[in-house]
Formats: sequence, C-alpha cells, structure tokens
Amino acid sequence: MLQYIAPATGLLFTLENILWINIGVFIGSVFAAIPGLSVILCVILFLPVTYSMTAIPGMMFLLGIYCAGGYGGSVSAILINTPGTPHAAATMLDGHPLSKQGRTKAALKIALYASTFGGVFSALMLLFLGPQVARVAAQLGTAEYFMVCLFGLTIIAGVSGKSMIKGIISACVGLLLSCVGTDPMTGYDRLTFGIGRLYMGLDLAVCLIGLFALVEILAKAELKPDALHLDTKKMEDNGVITKEEYKRIVRPVLLSSLIGSLVGIIPGTGASEASWFSYNTAKNMSKHPEEFGHGSVEGIAAAESANNAVTGATLIPLLTLGIPGDGTVAIMLSALMINGLNPGLSLFTTDGDIMYAIMLGLILVNLFMLLQGRFLTRLFAKVVSIPQEILTPIIVIFCFAGAYSVNKNYFDVAVALVFAIIAWVLRKLDMPAVPILLGMVLGNMTETNFRRALLISNGNPSIFFSSIYCIIFLVLIVVAVGTIVRGKLNERKAAQTAGKEH
Amino acid sequence: MKQWVEQFNGRMDAWGRKLHEKEIRVPIDLVTGLVFALFALAILLVMPDQVAISEKDVVNGRAFPTLLMTVMLLCCAMLIGKELYKLATKHPLNWKVINIQVEAKALAILGILLGTYFLSKWTGLFVVGAIFCCLGFLLYFRCRKKSYYVITLVVAVAIWAAFRFALGVDF
Repeated sequence: MLQYIAPATGLLFTLENILWINIGVFIGSVFAAIPGLSVILCVILFLPVTYSMTAIPGMMFLLGIYCAGGYGGSVSAILINTPGTPHAAATMLDGHPLSKQGRTKAALKIALYASTFGGVFSALMLLFLGPQVARVAAQLGTAEYFMVCLFGLTIIAGVSGKSMIKGIISACVGLLLSCVGTDPMTGYDRLTFGIGRLYMGLDLAVCLIGLFALVEILAKAELKPDALHLDTKKMEDNGVITKEEYKRIVRPVLLSSLIGSLVGIIPGTGASEASWFSYNTAKNMSKHPEEFGHGSVEGIAAAESANNAVTGATLIPLLTLGIPGDGTVAIMLSALMINGLNPGLSLFTTDGDIMYAIMLGLILVNLFMLLQGRFLTRLFAKVVSIPQEILTPIIVIFCFAGAYSVNKNYFDVAVALVFAIIAWVLRKLDMPAVPILLGMVLGNMTETNFRRALLISNGNPSIFFSSIYCIIFLVLIVVAVGTIVRGKLNERKAAQTAGKEH
Repeated sequence: MKQWVEQFNGRMDAWGRKLHEKEIRVPIDLVTGLVFALFALAILLVMPDQVAISEKDVVNGRAFPTLLMTVMLLCCAMLIGKELYKLATKHPLNWKVINIQVEAKALAILGILLGTYFLSKWTGLFVVGAIFCCLGFLLYFRCRKKSYYVITLVVAVAIWAAFRFALGVDF
C-alpha cells in the first residue's frame, strides 16, 4: 500500500483534479438541496461530461457529486422540512425542529460536521479494507464470480420496490438489455432487430438518462408546481454549538459512522437504511431520548454521519468485486471501465497509483465539502426555492445534450426517450428501475462468467456448486432471500394490522 | 390575446376536472405477470432469428438470454398464480388506480419532449429545440412571470454554448 501512496498523491494534487472535485461538490450540494432532484439523477446527467476526462478527474467529479449529495439533502430537510434526498428524511426529524427553535445555522453546522466525519471515516475504511477484500476477490474463479453477480442482483432485486418477484423480473430485463449488441464471446449480433446502431449495444448513460432522469420529467404530471418559499431570516442565528453539545454528538457520530460503513458494504442497502438505523440506535443509547424528534443535536449528527459513511463503503464491493453497493455507484463503474479500469485485484496493483489517488481523493472530496458547506450554505439554501417551472426545462435540456454528446448523434436521444416511456410504463406496473440499472451494469460480467464456467465444465452446471466460495455465496443468497421475504411478510402484516385498527 | 389565454386555460381547467374524475382500476400484479410473460415468450420466439450461433459452441449466445427469459416466465407464473389463488379464495386482488388526468398530462409532457427532439433533429440546431422546450414547459406550467421566461431561455442557450464550445459537442 505504502508504495502507491507517494505516486498517488502526485497524481491527485493537480489543479485539474482540485477544480473538478469542487465543481462536483458544488453541483452535488445544489442538486441534493432541491427536493425532487436526486443524487442519482445528478450523476446520470453529468456522466457524459466525464467521458472526455481521464479516470482520476472523472471519478473525482462524480465522487464530489455523490458525497456532497449526502450532505446537500439535509439543507432542505432542516430549512423547509422537506428532505432534498430520501436519506435526509431522518435528519429532518430533528433538524427542522432545531431550526424552528431559531438555531438553523447550528443545525446546518452539525449536519455538515457529522457528514464530513462520516465521509472521511468511510473513505479510510475503503483505503484500508478495499485492498484486503480485493485479495480475497482475486481467488475467485468464473463460477464464483457468477455467484457473486447473482448475489448482488438478488439483494438489489429483493430490496428495490415492494415485491421481490417484480424486482427479479426487472433485473432480468436489465440483464437482457445488456445482451443487445455484439456477443462478447463470439462476435455475432444479438437482439439488434436490424437496427445498425445497436451493433455496439445500448449505451448505459443514454439508457439511464431515460430510465431515471426523463421519467422524472414525465412524473411532473403527477404534481402541481409548488413554490417552496424559504425565509432567509431563518439563517440569521449565530450558529454556535456549545461544548456540551459537541461532547454529546461525539458518540453518535462515531457509532453511526461505523454503522453507515458496515451497511454501505452490503450491496442493495443504502444511505436511507443506514441513517434510520443509526438514528434509532442513537436514540436508544442517548441519555436524552426525549429530545429526539424535538431538535436533538444527537439525532441530526447520527443520521448525517451515517448517510455519508455509506459513500466510501459502497465503493468496496464495487472496486473489488464489481458489485455496486447502490444505483449511484453502479453508474460510476461505467466511468471507471470506460478508462480501462476493471474491478478486482489488478485495480489495486497494476493500476494501484490511480486507484489510491481515487481513494485518497475521497478524503479530499469530504474536506472540500466541509469548506464549501462552511462558506456556501447560504447559497445552497437559496437554491432550495428554485421553482419547478425553471428547473424542469433546464433538466430536459441537460438530458438531451447529455444523451447527444455520448456518441454525437440524435439516435441516442431517441433511445433515451424510448427508455423514458418504458420507465413510465414500468412505474405504472410498480416495477422498480434500480434492478434494471444493476442488470445492465452487471450483465456483461454475469454472462461472460456464466458461459466461461460452463465452457470449463463442458456444459455441466454442477460447477456452480463445486467450490467453497460458490457454496458460501449460495448460502448468502438463500439467507438474503429468506431475510428479505420475511421482512416483506412482516411489513405486509404490519400494514394489514394498521389498516384494521383504522 | 390575454382574453384568448384566459379562455384557453378555462377550457383546459374544465377538461382537467372532467378527466380528474375518470379513473381506471387495474389488477396490477395480474397485468404485470401477463405483460412480462408475453414479453418473455416474444423474446424466446424471435431468439433464433435474432441470435446467430455456431454449431460448434458448447455454450452459445442464446444460453444466457434463454435462461433469463425462463426465469422471467417463472416469476410471471408466480405473480399470476398468486393473483389467481386470491381470486379463487375471494381475497382482494392488488389493484392500482390510474388517473386519466395524470396520464393526459404525461402525454402533454411527452409531446413537449418529442417536439424538442424533432425540432433539434430536423433543424440540426439543438438550441432551437432547447428554446422550444423552455417555452413548452413554461406554458405547460402556465407561468406568467416574464422573468422566468428570460431566465430559462438564457440558461438554455448557456447550456447549449457550454456543450458546444467548452465540451466540443457540435450540435
């Protein structure tokens, strides 16, 4: 590890990288602060911009958006009682009451400090744990890799949406879409339906613009444009956090950072789960549980440190096994792979200097997030009240420009539009879109390993149960499916009981 | 002009109120199961035409898509079976209410998106489509503030200029 630190530092500390980190952090904070705009949408919109960049500035830019998105969501949660992102919902419970007590700046400061600590903690976890997991990953063969892909897909299909069956159908759709184009092993065309441009396959960024960004525009049909009016006088408190408050937030921040990091490593679980779990843990362990929900500094600190502690941890399965921890990092995988960086041990050895630069860069991202948060929060707060009338056409123009710029043709814009319509129909059918994204990202890896394993075994499927790693992942899949099904049944029972009571 | 706009908005409001009351109830899991079962069958049907293989291949290019479609069919069978069981045991099905007004609005938005696409493509000037998009959405939201028109149009041109001159995207 140490041999990579010096060259990685040299690669990281360039004016270009610092600039892209700051642009990413700024854009991420602004997007996450606006209710209705998500971090995943932001990463999708700006992914095409990274296609012309090398790996480090491209990843720094996307990581800037990703990490700052974790903090940005808290701004609107605290100021207007509307979480900018779903994972800021737990922050809102105490952030907004504290703001109502005339301590808006203090609430924002606690959220910022906790987010930064969680982010740095998680980045260090990635730095120290990533190479160790990659060493284990290097021992996996094709059959084991197929099982790993299956494990990631099963969990994400299970936790996305209300029905696991629908999640699996969505994942199958995503995997099928990844088959469109040239067969990776034989070179024959597949499922192109005579459309010449599909020979190269479907571009992930273009499909995601339709699936996640343009569909949100169609979803405006479900809403009336509400102007969110922000009272800027709210931010005129002195923002002082007392010594006693600092002492009170130390323990929840430390514990929540650990919880967030552990939750982040598990594919399919994300910042929302981490922040709620940490919030509840902090409440149970607090000496003042009665303050939770009424402006507790511990509540804000726990929720915020946990949701940012997920950021680095989700990269561990991504960079070592190629399994994205959540939808947003799945998109980052394509930004890495476009630069010829494939997940696995080689990423930490052959491309070690680049990889360590990215991992160290994650710490830097969090520090710049702290700086921008300290000096630009007033600006982020103003962005909260940008009206939908202005935002909507701007997002559409970004989507179209982004889709066009991938291959510089209007065919891709048409593909994005088709995917938007498909996503709208899927939404009507209650089908989750995240498993489609994961299927598209993991499709090539899943199929190649599936076919190679069968080639090695001369078509005998018992190869998928032949090694200890295969069996471990099989057991993990069974346990995960069992846990998810049990959870869904409990949810349904609880809903039925609540329905009867009403 | 102002009177015409008021009249148009009034007519749209009346139409909207009528549509708002119209709803379609769909047995969502049953429909999803049927839609995706048909989709999987269609893919399996076109597979021989769409995926060329060599006789020598131990595992050919059809193996993985076929496996996926089989899994999809199994899932659809489970969804349909579950709903049919509910129907047989007189348990309530999983229904979804689709509001016609929402769908009509979504179609209007889709119209703006398609307009933007075709204008950009036919004229070869992305900025023309971008301006149409801004005006389309501002009219859709019935925006009356002139400042919003100015801001969105300026931002639209700025985005085009950023892609055109900073990122070298020629459109």
